[in-house]
Amino acid sequence: MSHLLDRAAGSTTAPERGSDRGPTLPHVLAAEWTKITSLRSTSWLAVATVVAAAGLAFGLGLFVRPGDAGSGASLAVTGHVLAQFGPLVLGVLVGTGEYATGTFRATFTAVPRRLPVLAGQAVVTAGWGAVTAAAAVGASLLVTSGQRAGAGFVVDAADAETVRLLAGYVLHQTGVALLGLAIGALLRRATGAFVTAVMLLLVLDQFLAANPGRFTDLLRALLPAAGARMVQGDAQVAALDATSFGPDLGAWGGGLVLLLWVIALLGAAAYRLRRHDLS
Amino acid sequence: MIQVEALTKRYGPTTAVDELTFAARPGTVTGFLGPNGAGKSTTMRMIVGLERPTSGTATVGGRRYADLPAPLHAVGVMLDVRSVHPGRTAFRHLLAQARTHGISRSRVDEVIAITGLESVAGRRAGTYSLGMGQRLGIAGALLGDPETLILDEPVNGLDPDGVLWVRGLVRSLAAEGRTVFLSSHLMHELSLCADRVVIIGKGRLLADASVSELVQRSEHASTVRIRTTDPDLLTKVLVGLGAEVVPHDNGVLNVQGASVDDVGAAAARCGATVLELAADGGSLEDAYLHLTADAVQYRGGSTDGTTTDAPAGGAR
Repeated sequence: MSHLLDRAAGSTTAPERGSDRGPTLPHVLAAEWTKITSLRSTSWLAVATVVAAAGLAFGLGLFVRPGDAGSGASLAVTGHVLAQFGPLVLGVLVGTGEYATGTFRATFTAVPRRLPVLAGQAVVTAGWGAVTAAAAVGASLLVTSGQRAGAGFVVDAADAETVRLLAGYVLHQTGVALLGLAIGALLRRATGAFVTAVMLLLVLDQFLAANPGRFTDLLRALLPAAGARMVQGDAQVAALDATSFGPDLGAWGGGLVLLLWVIALLGAAAYRLRRHDLS
Repeated sequence: MIQVEALTKRYGPTTAVDELTFAARPGTVTGFLGPNGAGKSTTMRMIVGLERPTSGTATVGGRRYADLPAPLHAVGVMLDVRSVHPGRTAFRHLLAQARTHGISRSRVDEVIAITGLESVAGRRAGTYSLGMGQRLGIAGALLGDPETLILDEPVNGLDPDGVLWVRGLVRSLAAEGRTVFLSSHLMHELSLCADRVVIIGKGRLLADASVSELVQRSEHASTVRIRTTDPDLLTKVLVGLGAEVVPHDNGVLNVQGASVDDVGAAAARCGATVLELAADGGSLEDAYLHLTADAVQYRGGSTDGTTTDAPAGGAR
């Protein structure tokens, strides 16, 4: 026994006794990366997200006929309706997993300043969301290539709407992942966090859309669901703004609303984490 | 070195920890003892910064835990076996912990070897038994080769082999000059591996003494039962020695304030024939139960209809 411990002692009495031995931001980031990649659910969710995105795009592509309104990019991003659940669930799992499993004891005794953990989680969640979304949109373009050729839809990298839709898809999925993380970290309960996120992203928006009016349209524009404008075609966004009594957000304005929600909720989660007991 | 001074934690109207003051010193194993709900875990969580004290301070090596530049290298902590994601393998769990401090992969392998988890380190922690979970928790505590170890109920759920291993481990860690602070609700367990014992009940300090002191105290508090042919004579002699004697039927005397040796010698001197001689109780466990009798939160119902001094729930 003791010789094992001696060996252990020898291995860590390295010359450096500086601050780089402690929980610096890069160290915590590496730890959070190890955590997220060591769960099977992470890769299953990524696969499911890509399959859902490409599957839905392909399914809807079956109904596309030559002369239909639309573009190659708008067809490729239609999968977001289903695919956004992937990043949402991942974000909620990362945000609540520590508390649901008790891992927070090991995590926050290693990083007693706490906030670097939330920052690390945000970075790895955003990274996962962006990479998965890029893969999803790539797969969607691939599976719909035959349909696009048949309908005469082109994907032109020089076309502003195309670039906006493809970039918007990645940004929307990333934003949804961060929203899930923020709500999860704030509420610390997976079910409650998931229900809350679905309400904010989908249900409330549908409810308000069914009851148009000055107040409901304003509210609708201020919900994180407005972020979905980033994956809607120019004509659709213009029609939405034309009929709305609320502010005209445009596509990026909707993305900004989602971003502000993410910032505010992450701020609230950070406040709870920093100021309150963990038990 | 762990120093706790006037540490208090209130949750609304309930006081979980009440003006607690004690120290755990380097080179010793300090046991932390109390019935369930006495405030042991709350105290430990405050020491490692998971909870904020209502008042008072807790420091490790002179610093608040949250101010330690590299906590894992200063303090090894195992608070609860349920501190691992069940979907993560033991190796990955330890690796994630290690990475927060830039600790190498080879050190992770070392602590896995020290705790005997080599064959199961690639399995998901959700498949672990309680004992394997304890070993994983201890492995995590050893990662940073810390000067101080804080272990909450480390022998809970271990098989006899594992219990012996933990005892040996904490003794050898203390022998290397480290501070070891471990909790238990079993006096017996602590008497076998601790040098000092801090006993709390209802959040208050009941005793802070070395194990040998507690043994002496408990022996002094024990009752000696003697059956003799001449109880009256022996009573006189024993009372003369300063003992308290309660006579019973059939020449049985219950003697307090004298050891078995004292009573036997007294009987020999006065010529009373001894038919039976035994020490009743007087174990360390009894001393502990006596101390905490008023401070037990969850008392089990007595099973034989008589009242008992000993709390039936939790402490046994």
